[in-house]
Amino acid sequence: MNSYWQPDIETAAPDTLRAMQLQALRRTLAQAAQSPYYGELFRRLNFSPEQIRTRDDLRRLPFTTKDDLRGHFPYGFLAVPKAETIRLHCSSGTTGNPTVIFHNRHDLDSWANLVARSMYCAGARPDDVFQNICGYGLFTGGLGFQYGAERLGALTIPAGAGNSRRQIKLMQEFGTTVIHAIPSYLPRLREVFTELGLAPAKDTRLRVILSGAEPYTEETRRRLEAMFAPAKVFNSFGLTEMNGPGVAFECDCQNGLHVWEDAYLTEIVNPDTLEPVPDGELGELVFTSLDRQAMPILRYRTRDLTRFLTGPCPCGRTHRRLDRITGRSDDMFIIKGCNVFPMQIEQVLMRIPQAASDYLIVLETLGDNDELILQVEAHPEWFNGDFSKLEHVRQRIVREIHDEVLVTPIVQLVEPGSLPRAEGKAKRVDDRRRNGKTDF
Amino acid sequence: MAHQVSVFVENKPGRLEKVTGALGQAGINIRAMTLNSSSGGWGVLNLLVNHPAAAKDALSAAGFLTALHEIVVVEMTDQPGGLHEVVSLLARAGLNVENAYGTVLQNGRSAILVINVEKVAHAREILAAAGVRTLEDDAIYAI
Repeated sequence: MNSYWQPDIETAAPDTLRAMQLQALRRTLAQAAQSPYYGELFRRLNFSPEQIRTRDDLRRLPFTTKDDLRGHFPYGFLAVPKAETIRLHCSSGTTGNPTVIFHNRHDLDSWANLVARSMYCAGARPDDVFQNICGYGLFTGGLGFQYGAERLGALTIPAGAGNSRRQIKLMQEFGTTVIHAIPSYLPRLREVFTELGLAPAKDTRLRVILSGAEPYTEETRRRLEAMFAPAKVFNSFGLTEMNGPGVAFECDCQNGLHVWEDAYLTEIVNPDTLEPVPDGELGELVFTSLDRQAMPILRYRTRDLTRFLTGPCPCGRTHRRLDRITGRSDDMFIIKGCNVFPMQIEQVLMRIPQAASDYLIVLETLGDNDELILQVEAHPEWFNGDFSKLEHVRQRIVREIHDEVLVTPIVQLVEPGSLPRAEGKAKRVDDRRRNGKTDF
Repeated sequence: MAHQVSVFVENKPGRLEKVTGALGQAGINIRAMTLNSSSGGWGVLNLLVNHPAAAKDALSAAGFLTALHEIVVVEMTDQPGGLHEVVSLLARAGLNVENAYGTVLQNGRSAILVINVEKVAHAREILAAAGVRTLEDDAIYAI
């Protein structure tokens, strides 16, 4: 017997769902018109929200990109008085403007409900004990799941990231049944179980693992499930620009992620022509928020590549399913749950005169952890034989990269001229990871 | 003034061999050496040689990042407390010793201590005032 968090919405007939979307889209466009950015855009295009008759009419509006969000930092997309907002989340980055998303009370309420619905969809219930093993703060995975789990009614343990021994102790002491963690952390957690002479199956009550924020393959999921058996691993998808977690989630069938179509209007387009691709074909995900007041975003280009899965899902939910994210239409990579653009690394290095301009980012699985290894050529003009000066340079690079992308890199200084030089565009990222690898 | 040759080397097989090979070919004699190693996969190799400038040229030609680095060299007598006295003088003056290494002389009765210290000129004055003799380039290399 299938059961749902919001049966009326989750199993609505496709026509009903489309009607709901159209109504929500009109409301969203009217709200967006209140923001300086979209107000100006609508005036320039002589567009008014009443002109929308079908969902396809939305295509008369241009896409919104990350650069647009950054370019109108901080309040250009704000569609309510600032006094009405109650929280912001933002992406990492001290270079240039971060991407900042504002929420009012309605937005947080709506988001919490979507996360609760997602967790329920993956099998979590109000009587579960939920341990959120991820960073709180600006990262949406912390507070996003916290509020969602509370809405669901689970006992929540805001454990935060790291300290695997304490995580395991908490799991044992409070009988944790559901956890949320990024996929690249889970093997490390399993390793510590072994170090302590424990096993998840006999020493915990773990049965559901929610994992996302980094792309991972089906093989990796099966490997993780073997590590934590009998617990099941469910794929979570979200992005800060669309609140965070709770955009699309896997159900018990573990066959694609239901995208919540009452809250997100989803398009998949060819990244070159920007025309919609037929269902089942790979393209770039584009989202329009449908239930956000403080900061509606229209036709946001995620750069994530995936496809719609066709056919109904045995779980009975009618919201369409997305396949796993299979890549990016830009050069961004994800490591330890953080989004990193090579350009961010380059900008940090440009601030440090002792570092030469040649560098290589190596993503490598060391033990069970994925690491960001940054190889930088030492600058010939700055070498005076002083070891500690070079060591300071190395430590400064570690610190500044961490401040920029929130990942602590392993920085290796290498001899000048030793890094491979490609013809034309230099190869900047060498992805050697065993899993969680993004295929470009 | 005395100099050591400092070489930036990556921590990977064959690098040290390439340094000694280049010096051997150039007819350079190594008196003493030490390696400062970073957790970042690289280190700085400090060499006391008979012809510092020629060694630097040979290593640069072999593609190494090389520098001549000024040092203080003290001749030590073989008696208890000799090293302590030198180090105490520098510590009292607030000078930070970054690295130090020694080698026993061929006569087997005395040794030299190479001190890699900040403000070399100042360090030399302090040692001189205390009656500690520092060695110049040619004196060291003639050892």
